[in-house]
Amino acid sequence: MRRFLKQNGLSIAFLVLFLAAVGGQAIAGHADFNEEQIRHGDPQMSLGRYVVSSDFGTAVMENWQSEFLQFTLFILLTVWLLQRGSPESKELDKAGLESDEEQKVGGHAQQNSPGWAKVEGIRRTLYENSLLIVMGAIWVGTWFAQSVTGWTQYNSERLDHHMGTVGWWHYLGRPDFWEKTLQNWQSEFLAVGTMAIFAVYLRQRGSPESKPVGAPHTATGVEG
Amino acid sequence: MGPRVAALACIIPLALAGCGTGERADDATAVTEHFHAALESGDGQAACDDLSEETASKLEQQEKKPCDEAILGLELSKGGTVALPDVQMRSAYAGLAEGSVDFLDEGPEGWKISAAGCRSVTPNRPYECELEG
Repeated sequence: MRRFLKQNGLSIAFLVLFLAAVGGQAIAGHADFNEEQIRHGDPQMSLGRYVVSSDFGTAVMENWQSEFLQFTLFILLTVWLLQRGSPESKELDKAGLESDEEQKVGGHAQQNSPGWAKVEGIRRTLYENSLLIVMGAIWVGTWFAQSVTGWTQYNSERLDHHMGTVGWWHYLGRPDFWEKTLQNWQSEFLAVGTMAIFAVYLRQRGSPESKPVGAPHTATGVEG
Repeated sequence: MGPRVAALACIIPLALAGCGTGERADDATAVTEHFHAALESGDGQAACDDLSEETASKLEQQEKKPCDEAILGLELSKGGTVALPDVQMRSAYAGLAEGSVDFLDEGPEGWKISAAGCRSVTPNRPYECELEG
C-alpha cells in the first residue's frame, strides 16, 4: 500500500485536491445561488438540486473545457514550436514528428514498448496521437457541455425577464457564450506562455518542470 | 483522468441540463390551462390562486380591487390550450394556441404564473404583458 502511494502520489494528490475543490465549489456556489434567490425574493434550492443544475454545470464545464484545451494545444504546438532555453520545449533541432528511431516505433521499438508502438498501420497512427486525441475529445466534449448548460441558464434568465427563449445554435453566437469561453481561455494561454518563458530563467530545485538549478539559460529541452 | 471517466463527466451535465423537463413542462402546462379555464368560467379566485404572490399583489395595487375581481376585467384569453411549453431551470414559457404567452416561475407551491397575456412587440426585448408581476 505504502509503495503504491509512493509510486502514484502525484495523481492521488491531484485527485484528492480536485475532489476537495469541486466539493468546496458546490458548497460555495450553492450558498451564493441562494443568497441571490433571497435578494430577488425567489425560493431557495437544496444542495442536491443545485449540483444537478445548469448553474453548477456551466461553472464546472467552462473551467474544464479551458483546461483541456490548454493541454491539447500544448501537446500539439510543442511538436513544432520551440522556445530557446525552456524545459517545456524540445531541443532546437528536433522540431516536428521526429524519426521512427527517435520515437522507438516499428522496427525501432524496444521489447518493452507498448504493443501498438510495434505494429504498422492505423493502430500505430492512433497510438502515436492518442494523448492528443483523448485530451482533444475531452476538450470538445466539455466545451459542448458548457454550451448546453450555458444555453439553459441563458434561456432561464431570458424567461425571468419575460423574453422568449433562443435555440442552441443561436446561443453559440451570443456574447454570453463567448464571454464565458474566452475569459477562461485567456487565463490558460497566459499561464502556459508564462511558464514557458519563466522556466528559461527561473529554477525549482528538484522539479522536473524546471531545468537543473545550474543549467545555463540557453539550455533547451533539459529537465531537472 | 481516464477516457471513461471523462466521457461520463461530459455526459452528466448534458443529462442534467434537460433533466426532468418533460414532466415539469406538463405541470406548467396544466397550471396555465387551469388559469385560462378559470377565466372562462368566471372563477376569479381560482385564477388568482394560479398567480405568483407578487403578480397578484401588483394587480390589486394597480386596479385597486381584490385580485378575484380585478383579474376578470383584464383582456386575457378565456380558455385555451398550451401549444408551446418550454421549461428552463425554474422558469417556464407557455405559448397559447391563440398566440399570447404566459410566463411561470417554479416555487415551493409548484408553478405559478408571473405574467400573462404577453406578446413580443420588439425582437430581443421583454414581451409586453396584460398582467405582470
